[in-house]
Amino acid sequence: MGDLKVIGKRIPKKDAPLKTTGAAVYIQDMKVPGMLYGRILYSKYPHAKIVKIDTSKAEALPGVKVVLTGADVPNNFKFGFIKDNPPLKTGKVLSTRDEVAAVAAISPEIAEEALDLINIEYEELPGIFDPLEAMKEGAAMVHEEFKSNVLKMPWKFVAGDVEAAKKASAFIAEDTFSTQWVTHCCLGTSGCIASLDINNNLTMYSNTQIPSLAQNDFLEALKVFGFKNKRVRVIQCVIGGGFGSKLDTYAYEYIAILLALKARKPVKIVFSREDEFLATSPRQCTITKISQGCDKDGRLTFREMEMILDNGAYTSWGATTPSVMMVPISSLYKVPNIFYRAKCVYTNNTYSQAFRGYGNPQATFAIESNLDQLAEKAGIDPLEIRRINANEPGEVTPQNFKITSCGMKECIDEVVNRLDWKNKSGKHNGRGVGMASLIHVGGAARVYKSDGCGTIIKVDDNGKVDVITGSSEIGQGSETIISQIVAEVLGMSIDDINVINNDTDVCPWDVGAHASRTTFVAGNSALGAAQKIKTQIMEIAAKNLGESPEALEMKDGIIFSVKDKEKNISLGKVLRKVHYTLGGRMLVAEHFYDPPNENFDQNFKGNLSVAYAYGAHGVEVEVDKETGQVKILNYIAAHDVGKALNPMLLEGQIYGGGLMGIGYALGEKMIWDKGYLKNGTFLDYKMPTVQDAPPVQAVIVETDEQAGPFGAKGIGEPGLVPTAPAIANAIYDAVGVRIKDLPITPEKVLAALKEKEKGNP
Amino acid sequence: MKKEITFTLNKEKTIMEVDPQWTLLHLLREVLEMTGTKEGCGYGECGACTVIIDGEAVNSCLYPVMEVEGRSVMTIEGVALKDGSLDPIQQAFVDEGAVQCGFCIPGMIMSSKALLDKKDKPTEEEIKESIEGNLCRCTGYVKIVDAIKSVAGGR
Amino acid sequence: MKGYEYHKPSTVKEAIDLMGSLENAKFIAGGTDVMVLIRQKKLSPAHLISLRNISDLSFMETANGFFIGGGVTHSEIVGNEFIQKHYSALSDAAGNIGSKQIRNVATLCGNICNAAPSADSACPLLVLDAKVLIAGPDKEREIALDDFFLGPNRTALEKGEMVKGFHMPPFNENTGSTYIKHTRRAAMDLPILGIAARVTIKIGGSQIGCKDAFCTIDTISNILKHLEGEDLVCEDVRIAMGVVSPKPIRAKKAEAALLGKVVSEKLFEEIAEIAASEAQPRDSIRGEAWYRRDMIKVLTKRALLKSIDRVIRPDDLIHPDRLW
Repeated sequence: MGDLKVIGKRIPKKDAPLKTTGAAVYIQDMKVPGMLYGRILYSKYPHAKIVKIDTSKAEALPGVKVVLTGADVPNNFKFGFIKDNPPLKTGKVLSTRDEVAAVAAISPEIAEEALDLINIEYEELPGIFDPLEAMKEGAAMVHEEFKSNVLKMPWKFVAGDVEAAKKASAFIAEDTFSTQWVTHCCLGTSGCIASLDINNNLTMYSNTQIPSLAQNDFLEALKVFGFKNKRVRVIQCVIGGGFGSKLDTYAYEYIAILLALKARKPVKIVFSREDEFLATSPRQCTITKISQGCDKDGRLTFREMEMILDNGAYTSWGATTPSVMMVPISSLYKVPNIFYRAKCVYTNNTYSQAFRGYGNPQATFAIESNLDQLAEKAGIDPLEIRRINANEPGEVTPQNFKITSCGMKECIDEVVNRLDWKNKSGKHNGRGVGMASLIHVGGAARVYKSDGCGTIIKVDDNGKVDVITGSSEIGQGSETIISQIVAEVLGMSIDDINVINNDTDVCPWDVGAHASRTTFVAGNSALGAAQKIKTQIMEIAAKNLGESPEALEMKDGIIFSVKDKEKNISLGKVLRKVHYTLGGRMLVAEHFYDPPNENFDQNFKGNLSVAYAYGAHGVEVEVDKETGQVKILNYIAAHDVGKALNPMLLEGQIYGGGLMGIGYALGEKMIWDKGYLKNGTFLDYKMPTVQDAPPVQAVIVETDEQAGPFGAKGIGEPGLVPTAPAIANAIYDAVGVRIKDLPITPEKVLAALKEKEKGNP
Repeated sequence: MKKEITFTLNKEKTIMEVDPQWTLLHLLREVLEMTGTKEGCGYGECGACTVIIDGEAVNSCLYPVMEVEGRSVMTIEGVALKDGSLDPIQQAFVDEGAVQCGFCIPGMIMSSKALLDKKDKPTEEEIKESIEGNLCRCTGYVKIVDAIKSVAGGR
Repeated sequence: MKGYEYHKPSTVKEAIDLMGSLENAKFIAGGTDVMVLIRQKKLSPAHLISLRNISDLSFMETANGFFIGGGVTHSEIVGNEFIQKHYSALSDAAGNIGSKQIRNVATLCGNICNAAPSADSACPLLVLDAKVLIAGPDKEREIALDDFFLGPNRTALEKGEMVKGFHMPPFNENTGSTYIKHTRRAAMDLPILGIAARVTIKIGGSQIGCKDAFCTIDTISNILKHLEGEDLVCEDVRIAMGVVSPKPIRAKKAEAALLGKVVSEKLFEEIAEIAASEAQPRDSIRGEAWYRRDMIKVLTKRALLKSIDRVIRPDDLIHPDRLW
């Protein structure tokens, strides 16, 4: 790859100056002339009949322009993954986040006051809040029109013969693990401004992670609302955190459109923090029954897992997380025989969605906790069982994943060395070490028909470059990474590269900021476009300099002959030459990169990703045996990233993911009590503060992924995948109790210690 | 009923007609359209709205606007120099990679600046204490602490 | 929108007069609770009477012990070395309330007058025998803090009265005090449980008072073992518990059981058991009752040990452990 000038450097984020001065404009900060403020009234009960809604008082309040209820939603419109969710509910409410009415007014305060004036008469119905209850024979149906509370989804994967492998196994460990509801806690809450022109074309100011798909969703909605052949433009403001929360379109967006249609004015809806906790879609809770076996040498023989996921009352992408849970289930370590089945179950709880890791953390918690149990049964060091079974380059996994680059063993070694594993493990003296590994998609993930991203590059008269990309900047730094890639190819400074990434009227299609795919896909797309524009530039320069293109190089905006540097021309001049000439042309290139990965077949086989990301986390903990509190003394997060295009931003992903995972492991939990959220505040939802952040070492392992842009793989999600089991394993090493239910609270640790003292396992 | 208040905002004398029930945050964001100061929760639980009043970091979402009378308020808009060049603490956040989505960052900068204006060389403990009321979901805080440290060491 | 009038009296008398003359008025100090309640629509006053600009409320002084004005902020308390040294428990509490931003404006009287069972400064003030100085329309009066709390959010303040400050008596130099706040998170949190202790010990043996003698011994438990037979007698003791009953309470039976005894870790364990028996912890989203009760036992012992540690090794600045 030669001598890299920009790639691999610790280059600050391009948008950081804007953000450090308060100049960045988030949806919260955005105003459109004449706009109204929308607010949504949520259901008082988790399950009830709506007997009567009286909006007359609200409508009479001065300053209120529109009040909507479910009756105002045209043509029975529903949205969501299987279109089971109306933006405003009629007849029945199925959860406490159900939208029952909405208001648009000239100020947020008046809108808020109007909500208090809406009278709704409910007839409360008994609800189902436990997926196990919902699965029982004779359970009431959450959606009466469906025959079962279990979603009709085909989540099953089988490879080899698990039953035979069980019989042949020397050791088997079996247990049940569970995880909790957790939420994204984006510091910037959800919001949008819906603005319609005189012809009912929609401009949506949004903080979505999926502009192209959102555009499509809104087009479809307009169609159902009776407005065919309209245009939808999605403009993204600066996004105050994503983490998967903005991977779908939501009721509030459709409500804003409906309010705007009726008011004939733009309508802004921005969530309060209470709304954000209540009405965004969290990571679902899961129950996992797992068993794994190995032969006498510790080689894994089979893995069997059955999972139950609380889908909540409606269906979003949360119901598809089993497709990614399958990644570690089929392919974390070499396991020849696999059985996996997952059921998503309707309840009257909030409904689940994507959240960084997309099901992988729940699955990996069970796999990696249970692997330690198996290692103990087999009398093998937890470290050794991981080494013995570690994935390797060239492997084809049971799901037909073709493993290209793989630094799993190197990651494990980093953890072992940096934790001083040999000296610290197995002491059971209140201090302990634990580890867990991960596999995740690292080269995109074909979950739609296309997994692509487009890039357009144009060079302006002054030799500056505009890169118009489909990808979204959600804080992760894609703008900077794309700039670096283009700068590297063109031999330019990243300051001369301007990335345009927030307007569907301008930007090419992209499937969205998810699946840790942006660096890989948008990066490859930008790389392709940059190479194409470079070819054009060189051809024109060659003509002007009387050289062949191969004899030229480009650096700092100057194209010169390698042999004779005096023979040169500036990029701006090249451009002016093609512009200011008869029969002139533009200097523009486009490239659409759609990775050569595969959709799953009906048996869930197929090379989902072009490359796979690996990592291992190791942690040393100290457990206070009197209080059950767990203190993390040292945390190592080693990740195989292919190639670090910008180590500084990459570490940021690892640190951020790591602490998010630590929160998941030790503290965070949405407390849903019979359908009511009990801790919807930052005070009571225990997202970690800086004082909770233990010392973390981010270790970058480079494996040079051939398919990646300059060798890179994705790193957005992996940081939180193995955190919880690593900590659970360390606690077991420290005090001999295994917590199988997240989060690992001091109560659970102390209760387990007491049971252990009594001699109960 | 509106009241007139006089105070110093980012070193400029400011006279405003205010509603007594406004918070300082409301005045800044909704009236003055100085949107650099963020609202993350409205309850003093996240620190995104932090401003410096008479040298102390406070949550502007809980600060009654009437109390601003006669005081000196500094917001994120008043931190950078007039020519647009960044304050050392802002530059450090940029250079150390402390910024991701950025929503918490104005508050982080105000909290750490309040500390650094008082103490040239704060300890790590003091640095963490200064931002313990500023939640960040993106960064894991590591590079934020590094950024503040780099200024603390470099002054 | 119904708003409120905002009043900024500059003297205590003015504040009390305003309170007497206005309908539906509420005092506001730092505002970190009042402003939240207003936003949550749990409170809709017609008038807010600010105590922030009353200089008579915002001073501290050494006066036959120590006086802290009601308007003193938690940051001011944390920054006061005299309090750190002589009334450590209060320093412990003030340093861990909310966040830096909260501590910069939230006042001691605000924390106490809310009378939340979880009020962090209540337990320290209880063990430090604080008296509450109350100003009213007609007279000033002083009552023990123990008599001030009546129940959740209920105090002995009568109509029109306000808290001027808190007076703590002097304690002899062999006194140490501690507050331990047990939380899920290391900052920005309310306690699952709060325990404060103050112990005055009578020192017999010659070794004590010379901290160098213990510089090689790591923990106070080991120091106590080392001092067995030296007859370290508990001369005075207070133990207070927060979040275990409708109001912050003293563990009076536990105090009585410790008074006059030769201290040891084992004895502290017994005392802690008694303290736990005096509590009525409940289940809530913030903590389970059984766990709170268990933690009373653990933390009472630790608070007593730490208090004695502060007598024996007074120069060590002690920060409450920050744990999940």
